[in-house]
Amino acid sequence: MGAIINKIEYVLPEREITNQDLQNEFPDYDFLKFEQKVGIKSRYIVSEGETALDLAIRACEKIFEGNIDKNEIDFILLCTQSPDYILPTTACILQDKLSLRNDIGALDFNLGCSGYTYGLSLANGLIASNQAKKILLVTAETYSKFIHKKDRTNRSIFGDAATATIISYSEEDNIGGFLFGTDGGGYDKLIVRNGGCRNNFDTNCEIKNYGTGNEYSDNHLYMNGPEVFNFTAQVIPKFTKELLIKNNLEVNQIDQYIFHQANAFMLNFMRKRIKIKSENFYINIENYGNTVSCTIPIALKDYSQEITSSEKIMLVGFGVGLSWSGGLVTINKSL
Amino acid sequence: MKKQDFIKELSEELELETVVTIASSIKDLDEWDSMGAMILIAYVSDTFDVTLDADDIESITTFNSLIERIGEEKFLE
Repeated sequence: MGAIINKIEYVLPEREITNQDLQNEFPDYDFLKFEQKVGIKSRYIVSEGETALDLAIRACEKIFEGNIDKNEIDFILLCTQSPDYILPTTACILQDKLSLRNDIGALDFNLGCSGYTYGLSLANGLIASNQAKKILLVTAETYSKFIHKKDRTNRSIFGDAATATIISYSEEDNIGGFLFGTDGGGYDKLIVRNGGCRNNFDTNCEIKNYGTGNEYSDNHLYMNGPEVFNFTAQVIPKFTKELLIKNNLEVNQIDQYIFHQANAFMLNFMRKRIKIKSENFYINIENYGNTVSCTIPIALKDYSQEITSSEKIMLVGFGVGLSWSGGLVTINKSL
Repeated sequence: MKKQDFIKELSEELELETVVTIASSIKDLDEWDSMGAMILIAYVSDTFDVTLDADDIESITTFNSLIERIGEEKFLE
Protein backbone atom coordinates (compact mmCIF):
# COMPACT_ATOMS: atom_id res chain seq x y z
CA MET A 1 0.00 0.00 0.00
CA GLY A 2 1.02 3.57 -0.56
CA ALA A 3 -0.08 6.73 -2.31
CA ILE A 4 -0.45 7.99 -5.86
CA ILE A 5 -0.85 11.33 -7.59
CA ASN A 6 -4.26 11.14 -9.27
CA LYS A 7 -4.52 14.49 -10.98
CA ILE A 8 -2.94 17.93 -11.32
CA GLU A 9 -4.53 21.12 -12.59
CA TYR A 10 -3.14 24.63 -12.77
CA VAL A 11 -4.38 28.12 -13.54
CA LEU A 12 -2.66 31.33 -14.54
CA PRO A 13 -3.96 34.86 -14.06
CA GLU A 14 -5.50 36.44 -17.18
CA ARG A 15 -3.01 39.28 -17.43
CA GLU A 16 -0.07 38.22 -19.58
CA ILE A 17 3.18 40.20 -19.55
CA THR A 18 5.31 39.37 -22.58
CA ASN A 19 8.97 40.25 -23.06
CA GLN A 20 7.77 42.80 -25.62
CA ASP A 21 5.65 44.46 -22.91
CA LEU A 22 8.71 44.67 -20.66
CA GLN A 23 10.87 45.84 -23.58
CA ASN A 24 8.48 48.76 -24.10
CA GLU A 25 8.76 49.66 -20.43
CA PHE A 26 12.54 49.18 -20.21
CA PRO A 27 13.77 50.23 -23.70
CA ASP A 28 17.48 50.21 -22.72
CA TYR A 29 17.54 46.52 -21.84
CA ASP A 30 18.02 43.67 -24.31
CA PHE A 31 15.13 41.28 -23.62
CA LEU A 32 16.07 39.08 -26.56
CA LYS A 33 19.27 38.17 -24.75
CA PHE A 34 17.32 37.65 -21.54
CA GLU A 35 14.99 35.30 -23.41
CA GLN A 36 17.89 33.31 -24.86
CA LYS A 37 19.72 32.92 -21.56
CA VAL A 38 16.99 32.75 -18.93
CA GLY A 39 14.48 31.05 -21.22
CA ILE A 40 11.41 33.08 -20.28
CA LYS A 41 9.19 34.63 -22.97
CA SER A 42 6.08 35.37 -20.99
CA ARG A 43 4.59 35.37 -17.50
CA TYR A 44 1.17 36.04 -16.02
CA ILE A 45 0.44 38.30 -13.07
CA VAL A 46 -2.67 38.95 -11.01
CA SER A 47 -4.67 42.15 -11.31
CA GLU A 48 -5.00 44.59 -8.40
CA GLY A 49 -7.77 42.87 -6.43
CA GLU A 50 -6.92 39.28 -7.35
CA THR A 51 -5.20 37.10 -4.75
CA ALA A 52 -3.52 33.73 -4.29
CA LEU A 53 -6.76 32.43 -2.77
CA ASP A 54 -8.70 33.50 -5.88
CA LEU A 55 -6.24 31.57 -8.05
CA ALA A 56 -6.35 28.61 -5.67
CA ILE A 57 -10.15 28.45 -5.90
CA ARG A 58 -9.97 28.41 -9.70
CA ALA A 59 -7.35 25.64 -9.72
CA CYS A 60 -9.41 23.51 -7.32
CA GLU A 61 -12.66 24.07 -9.22
CA LYS A 62 -10.87 22.92 -12.35
CA ILE A 63 -9.74 19.71 -10.67
CA PHE A 64 -13.26 18.97 -9.40
CA GLU A 65 -14.67 19.36 -12.92
CA GLY A 66 -13.15 15.94 -13.63
CA ASN A 67 -14.03 12.65 -11.98
CA ILE A 68 -12.68 13.64 -8.54
CA ASP A 69 -15.41 13.59 -5.88
CA LYS A 70 -14.76 16.61 -3.67
CA ASN A 71 -16.61 14.96 -0.78
CA GLU A 72 -13.79 12.44 -0.55
CA ILE A 73 -11.20 15.13 0.24
CA ASP A 74 -10.19 14.74 3.88
CA PHE A 75 -7.20 17.09 4.06
CA ILE A 76 -6.09 20.39 2.46
CA LEU A 77 -2.40 21.29 2.38
CA LEU A 78 -1.89 24.76 0.96
CA CYS A 79 1.53 26.19 0.20
CA THR A 80 1.74 29.97 -0.09
CA GLN A 81 3.90 32.93 0.89
CA SER A 82 1.28 35.40 -0.28
CA PRO A 83 -1.68 34.55 1.98
CA ASP A 84 -4.82 36.70 1.80
CA TYR A 85 -4.54 37.51 5.51
CA ILE A 86 -1.90 37.25 8.21
CA LEU A 87 -4.64 35.19 9.86
CA PRO A 88 -6.77 33.15 9.36
CA THR A 89 -5.22 30.38 7.32
CA THR A 90 -5.97 30.51 3.60
CA ALA A 91 -6.66 26.75 3.54
CA CYS A 92 -9.61 27.27 5.94
CA ILE A 93 -11.20 29.85 3.65
CA LEU A 94 -10.58 27.56 0.71
CA GLN A 95 -12.45 24.72 2.48
CA ASP A 96 -15.51 26.96 2.68
CA LYS A 97 -15.24 28.42 -0.83
CA LEU A 98 -15.06 24.92 -2.29
CA SER A 99 -17.86 23.62 0.00
CA LEU A 100 -15.66 20.80 1.22
CA ARG A 101 -16.62 18.72 4.26
CA ASN A 102 -16.18 20.18 7.75
CA ASP A 103 -14.57 17.06 9.23
CA ILE A 104 -11.31 17.55 7.35
CA GLY A 105 -7.88 18.98 8.13
CA ALA A 106 -6.70 22.20 6.48
CA LEU A 107 -3.47 24.09 6.92
CA ASP A 108 -1.17 26.50 5.15
CA PHE A 109 2.57 26.03 5.04
CA ASN A 110 4.92 28.85 4.23
CA LEU A 111 7.54 27.68 1.76
CA GLY A 112 8.56 28.90 -1.67
CA CYS A 113 10.24 26.91 -4.40
CA SER A 114 10.74 23.83 -2.19
CA GLY A 115 7.04 23.83 -1.22
CA TYR A 116 5.51 21.40 -3.69
CA THR A 117 7.93 18.56 -2.98
CA TYR A 118 7.43 19.17 0.75
CA GLY A 119 3.67 19.00 0.18
CA LEU A 120 3.87 15.69 -1.66
CA SER A 121 5.92 14.15 1.12
CA LEU A 122 3.62 15.51 3.86
CA ALA A 123 0.60 14.16 1.97
CA ASN A 124 2.29 10.78 1.64
CA GLY A 125 3.01 10.81 5.39
CA LEU A 126 -0.60 11.63 6.29
CA ILE A 127 -1.77 8.75 4.11
CA ALA A 128 0.87 6.29 5.36
CA SER A 129 -0.04 7.07 8.98
CA ASN A 130 -3.72 6.55 8.20
CA GLN A 131 -4.68 10.14 9.06
CA ALA A 132 -6.05 10.92 5.60
CA LYS A 133 -6.99 9.07 2.41
CA LYS A 134 -7.48 11.77 -0.23
CA ILE A 135 -5.51 14.99 0.01
CA LEU A 136 -5.89 18.26 -1.88
CA LEU A 137 -2.43 19.81 -2.19
CA VAL A 138 -2.58 23.41 -3.37
CA THR A 139 0.19 25.83 -4.31
CA ALA A 140 -0.81 29.45 -4.87
CA GLU A 141 1.61 32.30 -5.25
CA THR A 142 1.48 35.97 -6.27
CA TYR A 143 5.03 37.27 -5.88
CA SER A 144 4.12 40.05 -8.36
CA LYS A 145 2.50 41.85 -5.44
CA PHE A 146 5.88 42.02 -3.67
CA ILE A 147 8.04 43.18 -6.58
CA HIS A 148 8.94 46.85 -7.06
CA LYS A 149 7.76 48.27 -10.37
CA LYS A 150 11.32 49.28 -11.26
CA ASP A 151 12.84 45.89 -10.35
CA ARG A 152 13.22 44.80 -13.94
CA THR A 153 15.05 41.54 -13.19
CA ASN A 154 12.55 40.12 -10.73
CA ARG A 155 9.60 41.32 -12.81
CA SER A 156 11.12 39.44 -15.75
CA ILE A 157 11.67 36.24 -13.79
CA PHE A 158 8.62 35.71 -11.59
CA GLY A 159 5.07 34.86 -12.59
CA ASP A 160 1.93 34.15 -10.56
CA ALA A 161 -0.03 30.89 -10.63
CA ALA A 162 -1.91 28.31 -8.60
CA THR A 163 -2.00 24.53 -8.82
CA ALA A 164 -4.10 21.76 -7.32
CA THR A 165 -2.97 18.14 -6.92
CA ILE A 166 -4.94 15.16 -5.64
CA ILE A 167 -2.91 12.55 -3.76
CA SER A 168 -4.74 9.47 -2.55
CA TYR A 169 -4.33 6.16 -0.77
CA SER A 170 -3.55 3.36 -3.20
CA GLU A 171 -2.50 -0.26 -3.41
CA GLU A 172 0.34 1.05 -5.58
CA ASP A 173 3.19 2.90 -3.91
CA ASN A 174 4.03 5.64 -6.37
CA ILE A 175 5.53 8.20 -4.03
CA GLY A 176 9.08 7.13 -3.25
CA GLY A 177 11.84 8.37 -0.98
CA PHE A 178 12.02 12.08 -0.20
CA LEU A 179 14.74 14.17 1.45
CA PHE A 180 14.90 17.70 2.84
CA GLY A 181 17.46 20.40 3.47
CA THR A 182 17.51 23.71 5.31
CA ASP A 183 20.00 26.56 5.72
CA GLY A 184 18.32 29.42 7.56
CA GLY A 185 21.67 31.22 7.60
CA GLY A 186 20.67 32.32 4.11
CA TYR A 187 17.27 33.68 5.19
CA ASP A 188 18.09 37.16 3.88
CA LYS A 189 19.16 36.07 0.39
CA LEU A 190 15.55 36.12 -0.77
CA ILE A 191 13.32 38.14 1.50
CA VAL A 192 10.45 40.60 1.93
CA ARG A 193 11.66 42.38 5.07
CA ASN A 194 8.66 44.52 5.99
CA GLY A 195 5.04 43.73 6.68
CA GLY A 196 5.50 40.85 9.12
CA CYS A 197 5.82 41.20 12.89
CA ARG A 198 9.57 41.99 12.92
CA ASN A 199 9.32 45.12 10.75
CA ASN A 200 6.12 47.01 10.00
CA PHE A 201 5.21 47.88 6.43
CA ASP A 202 6.82 51.32 6.02
CA THR A 203 5.01 53.80 3.78
CA ASN A 204 8.10 56.06 3.69
CA CYS A 205 10.48 53.27 2.87
CA GLU A 206 13.84 54.18 1.32
CA ILE A 207 14.26 53.09 -2.30
CA LYS A 208 17.40 50.98 -2.77
CA ASN A 209 19.32 50.06 -5.88
CA TYR A 210 20.82 46.68 -6.81
CA GLY A 211 23.59 48.39 -8.79
CA THR A 212 22.25 47.10 -12.09
CA GLY A 213 19.49 49.69 -12.49
CA ASN A 214 16.98 47.60 -10.56
CA GLU A 215 15.19 49.21 -7.63
CA TYR A 216 13.54 47.76 -4.54
CA SER A 217 12.75 48.67 -0.94
CA ASP A 218 12.41 46.72 2.29
CA ASN A 219 8.67 46.56 1.58
CA HIS A 220 9.47 44.62 -1.57
CA LEU A 221 10.96 41.34 -2.64
CA TYR A 222 14.76 41.37 -2.53
CA MET A 223 16.81 38.63 -4.15
CA ASN A 224 20.58 38.33 -3.88
CA GLY A 225 21.00 36.69 -7.28
CA PRO A 226 24.68 35.67 -7.00
CA GLU A 227 24.17 34.10 -3.56
CA VAL A 228 21.03 32.22 -4.61
CA PHE A 229 22.84 30.98 -7.71
CA ASN A 230 25.83 29.81 -5.66
CA PHE A 231 23.62 28.09 -3.10
CA THR A 232 21.83 26.21 -5.84
CA ALA A 233 25.02 25.32 -7.71
CA GLN A 234 26.71 24.03 -4.55
CA VAL A 235 23.83 22.23 -2.84
CA ILE A 236 21.47 20.84 -5.47
CA PRO A 237 23.77 18.59 -7.57
CA LYS A 238 24.96 16.83 -4.38
CA PHE A 239 21.40 16.67 -3.05
CA THR A 240 20.21 15.08 -6.28
CA LYS A 241 22.85 12.37 -5.90
CA GLU A 242 21.66 11.75 -2.32
CA LEU A 243 18.11 11.38 -3.66
CA LEU A 244 19.32 8.77 -6.15
CA ILE A 245 21.03 6.82 -3.35
CA LYS A 246 17.92 7.13 -1.17
CA ASN A 247 15.86 5.54 -3.95
CA ASN A 248 18.53 2.99 -4.99
CA LEU A 249 18.76 4.38 -8.49
CA GLU A 250 21.54 5.48 -10.82
CA VAL A 251 21.46 8.85 -12.55
CA ASN A 252 20.48 7.27 -15.89
CA GLN A 253 17.63 5.21 -14.42
CA ILE A 254 15.42 8.26 -13.99
CA ASP A 255 13.09 8.81 -16.95
CA GLN A 256 12.73 12.52 -16.30
CA TYR A 257 14.14 15.07 -13.90
CA ILE A 258 11.79 17.93 -13.08
CA PHE A 259 13.55 20.63 -11.10
CA HIS A 260 12.05 23.84 -9.81
CA GLN A 261 11.93 26.07 -12.89
CA ALA A 262 14.08 28.93 -11.62
CA ASN A 263 15.75 29.96 -14.84
CA ALA A 264 16.95 27.97 -17.84
CA PHE A 265 20.60 29.03 -17.56
CA MET A 266 20.82 27.90 -13.94
CA LEU A 267 18.94 24.67 -14.69
CA ASN A 268 21.29 23.73 -17.52
CA PHE A 269 24.30 24.62 -15.38
CA MET A 270 23.13 22.09 -12.78
CA ARG A 271 22.08 19.53 -15.38
CA LYS A 272 25.62 19.45 -16.76
CA ARG A 273 27.13 19.14 -13.27
CA ILE A 274 24.91 16.15 -12.46
CA LYS A 275 25.52 14.74 -15.97
CA ILE A 276 21.88 14.43 -16.93
CA LYS A 277 21.11 14.29 -20.66
CA SER A 278 19.00 17.20 -21.87
CA GLU A 279 16.26 14.82 -23.11
CA ASN A 280 15.83 13.57 -19.54
CA PHE A 281 15.64 17.04 -18.06
CA TYR A 282 12.44 19.01 -18.38
CA ILE A 283 12.38 22.77 -18.90
CA ASN A 284 9.08 24.54 -19.54
CA ILE A 285 9.75 27.95 -18.03
CA GLU A 286 9.19 29.69 -21.38
CA ASN A 287 5.52 30.59 -21.04
CA TYR A 288 5.12 30.88 -17.28
CA GLY A 289 8.31 32.29 -15.72
CA ASN A 290 9.31 31.25 -12.22
CA THR A 291 6.00 30.64 -10.45
CA VAL A 292 7.70 29.63 -7.16
CA SER A 293 5.98 26.57 -5.60
CA CYS A 294 3.84 26.19 -8.73
CA THR A 295 6.64 25.43 -11.21
CA ILE A 296 7.04 21.73 -10.40
CA PRO A 297 3.33 20.78 -10.54
CA ILE A 298 2.91 22.83 -13.75
CA ALA A 299 5.93 21.09 -15.29
CA LEU A 300 4.80 17.67 -14.06
CA LYS A 301 1.32 18.20 -15.52
CA ASP A 302 2.72 19.42 -18.86
CA TYR A 303 5.31 16.63 -19.06
CA SER A 304 2.79 13.93 -18.11
CA GLN A 305 0.78 14.65 -21.27
CA GLU A 306 3.46 12.65 -23.13
CA ILE A 307 3.50 9.71 -20.70
CA THR A 308 2.31 6.39 -22.13
CA SER A 309 3.90 3.92 -19.67
CA SER A 310 5.15 4.02 -16.09
CA GLU A 311 7.94 6.57 -15.62
CA LYS A 312 10.23 7.36 -12.71
CA ILE A 313 10.39 11.11 -12.22
CA MET A 314 12.73 12.90 -9.84
CA LEU A 315 11.38 16.17 -8.47
CA VAL A 316 13.69 18.72 -6.83
CA GLY A 317 12.67 22.08 -5.34
CA PHE A 318 15.03 24.73 -3.93
CA GLY A 319 14.97 28.37 -2.98
CA VAL A 320 13.79 30.85 -0.37
CA GLY A 321 14.55 29.83 3.22
CA LEU A 322 17.02 28.69 2.19
CA SER A 323 15.13 25.45 1.77
CA TRP A 324 15.30 22.46 -0.52
CA SER A 325 13.48 19.17 -0.87
CA GLY A 326 12.93 16.49 -3.44
CA GLY A 327 11.88 12.95 -4.09
CA LEU A 328 10.88 10.26 -6.52
CA VAL A 329 7.40 9.84 -7.97
CA THR A 330 6.14 7.22 -10.38
CA ILE A 331 3.64 8.43 -12.96
CA ASN A 332 1.92 6.09 -15.42
CA LYS A 333 -0.65 8.34 -17.08
CA SER A 334 -1.41 11.83 -18.24
CA LEU A 335 -2.26 13.82 -15.09
CA MET B 1 44.95 29.26 -19.26
CA LYS B 2 46.48 32.44 -20.65
CA LYS B 3 44.95 35.69 -19.45
CA GLN B 4 44.22 36.73 -23.03
CA ASP B 5 42.35 33.48 -23.70
CA PHE B 6 40.42 33.92 -20.49
CA ILE B 7 39.29 37.41 -21.49
CA LYS B 8 38.36 36.15 -24.96
CA GLU B 9 36.33 33.22 -23.63
CA LEU B 10 34.60 35.30 -20.99
CA SER B 11 33.78 37.95 -23.61
CA GLU B 12 32.10 35.23 -25.66
CA GLU B 13 30.17 33.95 -22.65
CA LEU B 14 28.97 37.48 -21.89
CA GLU B 15 28.33 38.10 -25.62
CA LEU B 16 30.24 41.36 -25.50
CA GLU B 17 29.97 43.51 -28.59
CA THR B 18 33.09 45.54 -27.84
CA VAL B 19 36.73 44.43 -27.63
CA VAL B 20 37.96 44.53 -24.05
CA THR B 21 41.41 44.46 -22.45
CA ILE B 22 42.69 43.43 -19.07
CA ALA B 23 42.24 47.04 -17.90
CA SER B 24 38.61 47.34 -19.05
CA SER B 25 36.02 47.92 -16.37
CA ILE B 26 33.54 45.03 -16.24
CA LYS B 27 30.72 47.04 -14.75
CA ASP B 28 30.94 49.81 -17.32
CA LEU B 29 30.11 47.32 -20.07
CA ASP B 30 26.71 47.79 -21.70
CA GLU B 31 26.16 44.06 -21.24
CA TRP B 32 26.77 44.09 -17.48
CA ASP B 33 23.67 43.27 -15.43
CA SER B 34 22.44 40.64 -12.98
CA MET B 35 22.33 38.06 -15.76
CA GLY B 36 25.93 38.90 -16.64
CA ALA B 37 26.87 38.32 -12.99
CA MET B 38 25.22 34.89 -13.12
CA ILE B 39 27.04 33.99 -16.34
CA LEU B 40 30.35 35.19 -14.84
CA ILE B 41 29.86 33.13 -11.65
CA ALA B 42 28.98 30.01 -13.66
CA TYR B 43 31.94 30.41 -16.02
CA VAL B 44 34.48 30.98 -13.24
CA SER B 45 33.05 28.07 -11.25
CA ASP B 46 33.24 25.67 -14.21
CA THR B 47 36.65 26.83 -15.44
CA PHE B 48 38.59 27.43 -12.20
CA ASP B 49 36.47 25.75 -9.52
CA VAL B 50 36.37 29.12 -7.75
CA THR B 51 33.14 30.44 -6.24
CA LEU B 52 32.55 34.15 -6.58
CA ASP B 53 30.10 35.39 -3.94
CA ALA B 54 28.02 38.57 -3.89
CA ASP B 55 30.85 40.50 -2.17
CA ASP B 56 33.28 39.45 -4.89
CA ILE B 57 30.85 40.60 -7.57
CA GLU B 58 30.49 43.89 -5.70
CA SER B 59 34.24 44.48 -5.36
CA ILE B 60 35.41 43.38 -8.81
CA THR B 61 36.26 46.33 -11.08
CA THR B 62 38.47 45.48 -14.10
CA PHE B 63 39.17 42.12 -15.75
CA ASN B 64 42.53 42.28 -13.98
CA SER B 65 40.85 42.54 -10.59
CA LEU B 66 38.78 39.50 -11.53
CA ILE B 67 41.98 37.60 -12.41
CA GLU B 68 43.47 38.59 -9.05
CA ARG B 69 40.37 37.32 -7.26
CA ILE B 70 40.48 34.00 -9.13
CA GLY B 71 44.20 33.73 -8.37
CA GLU B 72 47.16 34.79 -10.53
CA GLU B 73 48.68 31.31 -10.06
CA LYS B 74 45.84 29.80 -12.10
CA PHE B 75 47.01 31.69 -15.20
CA LEU B 76 50.00 30.93 -17.43
CA GLU B 77 51.43 34.40 -17.76
